[in-house]
Amino acid sequence: MNNITMDRTTGADSTVPALAIRNLDFWYGSNHALKGVSLDFPTRQVTGMIGPSGCGKSTLLRILNRMYDLYPGQRATGEVMFDGCNILAPGLDVNVLRSRIGMVFQKPTPFPMSIYDNIAFGVRLHERLSRTDMDQRVESVLRRVALWNEVKDRLNASAAALSGGQQQRLCIARTIATRPEVILLDEPTSALDPISTARIEELLDELKQEFSIAIVTHNLQQAARCADRVAFFYMGTLVEVDTADKMFTAPQAKRTQDYITGRFG
Amino acid sequence: MMELPSAMTARDHPAMDTNTRGQYGDFIFGMIARLAGWFILLVMAGIGIVLISGGWRAFSTFGPGFITSTAWNPISDHFGAATSIFGTLVTTGIALVFAVPFAFGVAFWLVEMAPPALARFIETAVQLLAAVPSIIFGMWGFFIVVPFMAHDIEPTLTHYLGHVPGIGVLFRGAPYGTGLLSGGLILAIMITPFICSVMTDVFVSIPAVLKESAFGLGATRWEVMRQVVLPWSRQAVMGGIMLGTGRALGETMAVTFVIGNSNRLGWSLFAPGNTIASLIALEFPESSAGSLKLSALLALGAILMIISFITLACSRIFLQRGTAK
Repeated sequence: MNNITMDRTTGADSTVPALAIRNLDFWYGSNHALKGVSLDFPTRQVTGMIGPSGCGKSTLLRILNRMYDLYPGQRATGEVMFDGCNILAPGLDVNVLRSRIGMVFQKPTPFPMSIYDNIAFGVRLHERLSRTDMDQRVESVLRRVALWNEVKDRLNASAAALSGGQQQRLCIARTIATRPEVILLDEPTSALDPISTARIEELLDELKQEFSIAIVTHNLQQAARCADRVAFFYMGTLVEVDTADKMFTAPQAKRTQDYITGRFG
Repeated sequence: MMELPSAMTARDHPAMDTNTRGQYGDFIFGMIARLAGWFILLVMAGIGIVLISGGWRAFSTFGPGFITSTAWNPISDHFGAATSIFGTLVTTGIALVFAVPFAFGVAFWLVEMAPPALARFIETAVQLLAAVPSIIFGMWGFFIVVPFMAHDIEPTLTHYLGHVPGIGVLFRGAPYGTGLLSGGLILAIMITPFICSVMTDVFVSIPAVLKESAFGLGATRWEVMRQVVLPWSRQAVMGGIMLGTGRALGETMAVTFVIGNSNRLGWSLFAPGNTIASLIALEFPESSAGSLKLSALLALGAILMIISFITLACSRIFLQRGTAK
């Protein structure tokens, strides 16, 4: 297969990783931000990425949906296999890719439109749904993120009126509404209060039944709570990756141990 | 018991002295600011009074018919505003039809697509275009645009569009070169930089994550622009368009050069016409003090101001309705 299509074929075999990175290098202009990274993201598991600021973990996330394409001077080499094709290949349909690999950002970013339209926006880009089907889609994703009861009476109100935690859940709902296979989360709770954070973490646990999840976090407890596997990055290299249990109890590398025990970072 | 200084005055105490002086300065500054604010109102009122009282004779002589009459005859002292109002609105309309998409295209390209170094260069060029005096546009329009319109554009438009039912009537008539279409085009070029710089500023100020979120859902550049960026920046974009509209309504010199200055009213966009501003500019030096003609010109000035106010008010109402929704 040369180019990516809308057909969802991944996930049938859970032994094949959702995303497989091989020898990935990345440059911001002349700044070599990622060096020779190879990492698998297992299907329907949560993979956490930790490391000090500037270690390249967010950069990695932005490669996985080709977000770096928007900016001149940023380039990646290597291979990221998703559903049988290398997503770094030139000529790949990034719009289709992004509908299959969704992203949630650090700060909630509701669009300047109604709650309903925030969710319908992404769906309309890729599918023609009847009004009834769209209503159903909107309701089902809002229920999944436990927002339905809070907003069902004001679906046509502006999304800007929601609280920060609600907005972030709306953004997650908006992302899963296009039915992606992978969800990328870039520090999704760093702008939220503890209660909203807890709700998002619960949500992740439920979402991994259906989606493969990659989450970047500064919060080590969060990585320990949510992630099945954890990858530790330091200065653009992947130092270590293992199950969350092993990473936080018996890390192999000295640097990892120093980081998780708070000796630096 | 402590002994207090016998005569504690402001002069003896530097700190206190400064304090008093500070209050005094604050009072003066406050007064200046207040006066400046009120002065604006005073100027506005002054202009309004001069225009309406000066134009009163024309208004009372011709009554409401002044607005609907197409006459402009200094010999028989018959004056009407219809032709120049029509010309003003049509040229401004043409200018907006061309300038808004053009400015949008430039701004979109500058912000979203152009290489940064080139974008900076073009942005400076756009700002320079805004600084070109209107008389330069007038001369350039007269020597370059008008012949080009007469020889190439207008005959071509007549050929292809002249027979289309409905709109064909707009593109028929002798290709003079000078006319409403040429006036509108010059105006379009003149107001594009204003609209464009406002649009560029506001497009740049949109949070990157908001755009990235939309891109992250698989939206194309155009979809992001239309559904996220434009709604987010609607208010400022409308403001920029209104800024351009205001300038187009009142622009005088450049229009006077290319519009043909004929007091005719018709559907053909090629036909010479006039605008309120061009008519005033041409006729004012030839109007003797106290004449009915001078009064008619002042009345035209008042009408132009009212049109500008209505435009501004419409944009406000439009924006408020947009925001409330």
